[in-house]
Amino acid sequence: MQISMFNQTFELPSDVLAAWIFTIIAGGFVLLYVIKKKKLPLIWDYIRTTNHRKIGTLYILFGVVYFLRAGLDAVFIRLQLAFPDQSFWVFQQEKYNEVFTTHGTIMIFFSAMPILLGLMNVAVPLQIGARDLAFPFLNAVGFWLFFFGALFFNLAFFVNQAPSIGWTGYAPYSLNEYTPGVSTDYYVFGIQLSGLGTIFTALNLIVTIFRHRAPGMKLTRMPLFTWASLITSYLILIAFSVLAVALYLLMFDRLFGTAFFSGSEGDPVYWQHLFWIFGHPEVYILALPAFGIFSDIIPTFSSKRIFGYPTMVVSLALIGFLGFTVWAHHMFTVGLGPMANTFFALTTMTIAVPTGIKVFNWLFTIRGGLLRMTAPMLFALGFIPSFVMGGVTGVMLSVSAADFQFHDSHFVVAHFHYVIIASTIFGIFGGIYYWYPKITGYRLNEKLGKWHFWLFLIGFHLTFLPMHISGLQGMPRRVYTYGADEGLTGLNFTSTIGAFVMGAAVSIFLWNIVITHRRGVTVGADPWNGRTLEWTVDSPSPEHSFDPMPVVDQMDPFWYAKQEKRQLAICANPRPAPPDEQSMIPISMGLSLFVLAAALTYSLYWLAIAGGVGIFVLMAIRSWTDRTIIEEEEEA
Amino acid sequence: MTQGEIVIFKDKQLGFFIYLGVETIMFATLFATYMIFTPAEKGPHPADIFEWKTLLLSSFFLLSSSGTLMMSEKGLRSGRKGLLVLGLFITLLFGMTFLGLEILEFSSYLQQGYGTSASVFFGSFYVLVGLHAAHVAFGVGWMGMLFLQLGREKHAASFEQKHRIFSYYWHFVDVIWIGIMVIVYIPYLL
Amino acid sequence: MVLKRFTLVPVLLMLAGCNITVLNPKSATGKDQAFLIWFSFGLMLIVLLVVFFLFFRFVATYRYTDKKANFIPEDVHGNKWLELTWTILPILLLIVLAVPTVAITYNQSPISEVLKKDEAVQIEVEAQQYQWTFTHEGGKTSNQALVIPEGKTIRLQLKSKDVIHSFWVPALGGKVDVMPHKDLYYEIKNPEVGTYHGKCAEYCGLEHAKMIFTAKVVTEEAYEQYVKE
Ligand code: HEA
Ligand code: HEA
Ligand code: CUA
Ligand SMILES: [Cu+2]
Repeated sequence: MQISMFNQTFELPSDVLAAWIFTIIAGGFVLLYVIKKKKLPLIWDYIRTTNHRKIGTLYILFGVVYFLRAGLDAVFIRLQLAFPDQSFWVFQQEKYNEVFTTHGTIMIFFSAMPILLGLMNVAVPLQIGARDLAFPFLNAVGFWLFFFGALFFNLAFFVNQAPSIGWTGYAPYSLNEYTPGVSTDYYVFGIQLSGLGTIFTALNLIVTIFRHRAPGMKLTRMPLFTWASLITSYLILIAFSVLAVALYLLMFDRLFGTAFFSGSEGDPVYWQHLFWIFGHPEVYILALPAFGIFSDIIPTFSSKRIFGYPTMVVSLALIGFLGFTVWAHHMFTVGLGPMANTFFALTTMTIAVPTGIKVFNWLFTIRGGLLRMTAPMLFALGFIPSFVMGGVTGVMLSVSAADFQFHDSHFVVAHFHYVIIASTIFGIFGGIYYWYPKITGYRLNEKLGKWHFWLFLIGFHLTFLPMHISGLQGMPRRVYTYGADEGLTGLNFTSTIGAFVMGAAVSIFLWNIVITHRRGVTVGADPWNGRTLEWTVDSPSPEHSFDPMPVVDQMDPFWYAKQEKRQLAICANPRPAPPDEQSMIPISMGLSLFVLAAALTYSLYWLAIAGGVGIFVLMAIRSWTDRTIIEEEEEA
Repeated sequence: MTQGEIVIFKDKQLGFFIYLGVETIMFATLFATYMIFTPAEKGPHPADIFEWKTLLLSSFFLLSSSGTLMMSEKGLRSGRKGLLVLGLFITLLFGMTFLGLEILEFSSYLQQGYGTSASVFFGSFYVLVGLHAAHVAFGVGWMGMLFLQLGREKHAASFEQKHRIFSYYWHFVDVIWIGIMVIVYIPYLL
Repeated sequence: MVLKRFTLVPVLLMLAGCNITVLNPKSATGKDQAFLIWFSFGLMLIVLLVVFFLFFRFVATYRYTDKKANFIPEDVHGNKWLELTWTILPILLLIVLAVPTVAITYNQSPISEVLKKDEAVQIEVEAQQYQWTFTHEGGKTSNQALVIPEGKTIRLQLKSKDVIHSFWVPALGGKVDVMPHKDLYYEIKNPEVGTYHGKCAEYCGLEHAKMIFTAKVVTEEAYEQYVKE
């Protein structure tokens, strides 16, 4: 369809049109609901909030919305690949390239990451006896940067400018010469904005974990999810800093005429190095928090403490550290030479060792326990064999000469969906079921949760197991079609069916949320018979948590207190908590940067300056109005 | 500061140090970029365009501004407001002078026709030194803010905190400049 | 290679029947790679079996039943010897895997300069959005159809005119990226007669999916004939 406006004609493909219509209708319904149920004050509250649980909720909420969007992309991918020489709707050529780019980018940056950050926001302070994150205001800023970064990236599709450079954005294809127009700029700025927010949140978590623990909560007594969050935060600080610079350089190449990644002077491989120095640690940024979630869920539902706590911590740290030494295993075929290939093959293999330690420690936690098959526990149990399957294909990929065959084929697609879905996505679902009471006060329906789990598990293996073989059969990734004579038809068709089964499972999850809230049966502080401090505070967690402040005398303090039928000791004068406040500044900051990004994308330099000035003015206002709590108390 | 304020301030201090760690990684990546792409195959050699005079002059102002800031910190600690204000004021002046010199340097390159697209050497020079200059400019704005808040007696403790955090920032920016001297300029001036 | 004697894992042979392109290679290069794939797969199967065995056993044995309702499991902090076992055994396994990996990687990695001139058949591969041009010694060129002689060492010199592409003939081995402004060399040894699918394996734009070619391995005489035509 073509539309004429401002003396120009725009191409409006039917999928974009459909998205507009859908969004307007869905938006209308949401608006109606909000007004009818008088939810406006609630929204107003969440917009200005700096409370960790509320911000965590927002992260999870928007992460799930983007998961649906990117999942829908995946369904389109699978429909287009269901048959050889297929032409499903518009998804060939350019549209297919857009759809796998947005699928990968949104899943990683705007869905998996924010949901994990959301769970950390909710759980970490409660697990260590902190009343909030160390910098609640900064926490809100971090969230709104993610929000507007993700919004910006997603808007590209609505103006038919979705990026089509793959989530890896390889140069020189991602440069002006080959992708002129604004689509790639949406990628650059969308990720840059939310990446900055992620850095702030990681910093915030580190300070919180180091300085806001309850009395007696030594580092060696911390729950493993908190440990995983701590180590993940370090990975984020390093990896996202490199990514920020990589995107900054790419922006200069695209907007200001430099040539870092192209031409005879620049070097496209340099982009790959920077991207993977970020990108490989990024996959552990996705995996480690999930490991942490399982390390909390498994002991809880086995009624038994984690096996080998010290090695669990050390192996987390080792995985994090080794994760920075392996990046070029994504680049075995670019001609780095036999020396480099061998080196990176060997470093990659070593990561299997600490990961294996964790796997066996989980198994031996189960051994001798009493396993309660609740929804969170099912996800944790489903994770173990599924993840190991993905992990061992990772080791196969690390065999560099074999990777010449695997690389950029559907075998790799199979590998990474196995590891990501088994760890991150199962971890997210498990974590949501587990902490849902702490977030909302309700417990999700267990029966539907089991349906969700089993369907998702079956669909997941059905989708991705065949891809190992289609890769070996010669199917490259990022192709929108294949020939009927290549022996790929049955495999691809099976994958497509699997995707629909996963879709059904996700729908059950959504339905579960709806009916849980409709029934509105609240549960108490400790619905799972938990072990750690978060189960001592009310559900949902109150704004003034830990009043009075407990004293921790061992690991899993709540569990042992319950066993010995005693209360946790109480600390008379805990350290001062960070100030509680509500502020419009964080969202305004996000908005200013959003304007800045949009202006740079469309070369509206006056508007860019306005956006830039906006951010400084907001910082000045913040500096002017910010004060320490102590002063506030004195004034009051 | 009261006991409680000190605890809260220590949070901020740690947070800010971590933030500076992030900045260090970003600058390190840009330094690496510069080293990889300089000297470039085409376009002028850095040795032909860098000048000792400009480097020394701007370094003088920026590095001694760290000294004057220390003066101001001393004033803060010992409660001598005059010293505090004077130190901060000179730091502000020096910072602005540095920025002026930087602008002159950049514009002289631009006049010779060497913009960001002149060569990869210039590209990596601008992204690195330009980002540093942006940090100085931000610091200058920050000092302006500090001056504005100087008179607010009610917020004395919070002023002290802001001043101290700012000092960490400014000294950090100076250290980066030393890196720039050693990596960007001096190898091509010797 | 001597190492190939290790491949006789019965399970693997069973699976080899399925006629999967990469696992039924038609060149010495591809065979080395397929060997590595089988070999690593065999080792990984051991890992999988161990994990699966423990997992299903433990889950079956220790799940909650109403009979155990009042049972409180004994707390176990850990076990040094067990933990050492599952640190050391994987290391040994990986060392076994690393040896052939290093050997074959040294043999096969694409490199950016070729030092010696010898009897290898030289072919220049030029990629551009969305086509392939093959130039044989003596100057004969062809598009989308690579013709090479059986039994020889084929040395490809790859260059791209625009973005990064990747040369892949699953049945013969590969892949190797095709970079702009930097030539790479890659060797395919001892190919067998046949016609195979060739693909671009690095995403390069609109018609990346259609950037395909055929690789035809012919007898030496036929090749001489072809080059002269
Ligand atoms: C959560 C995310 C995640 C995780 C955890 C991993 C984990 C691993 N990955 Fe994966 N990987 C990705 C996400 C992830 N990966 C993504 C997204 C890509 C593709 C990006 C793109 O190109 O778009 C990728 C690509 C990728 C490649 C590049 C492939 C190519 O493009 O050619 C390689 C190569 O070495 C690799 C290896 C590994 C290895 C060795 C591990 C190891 O960490 C696995 C370790 C775990 C185990 C091994 C199982 C448990 C261990 C035991 C039970 C002990 C005993 C085991 C042995 C002795 C083997 N991965
Ligand atoms: C967190 C990471 C993550 C997750 C969870 C997924 C989940 C899925 N992925 Fe994806 N994927 C990537 C990360 C991820 N992926 C990345 C990084 C790439 C590489 C991109 C690139 O090459 O650049 C990739 C690429 C990729 C490809 C390869 C494309 C190609 O190379 O040509 C395929 C093909 O099948 C695929 C499929 C799927 C499927 C079927 C799911 C399923 O699990 C999805 C299940 C979810 C649903 C089915 C949603 C259901 C929704 C509803 C029920 C709601 C209905 C909608 C509304 C109401 C709005 N993915
Ligand atoms: Cu050429 Cu893909
Ligand atoms: Cu990796």
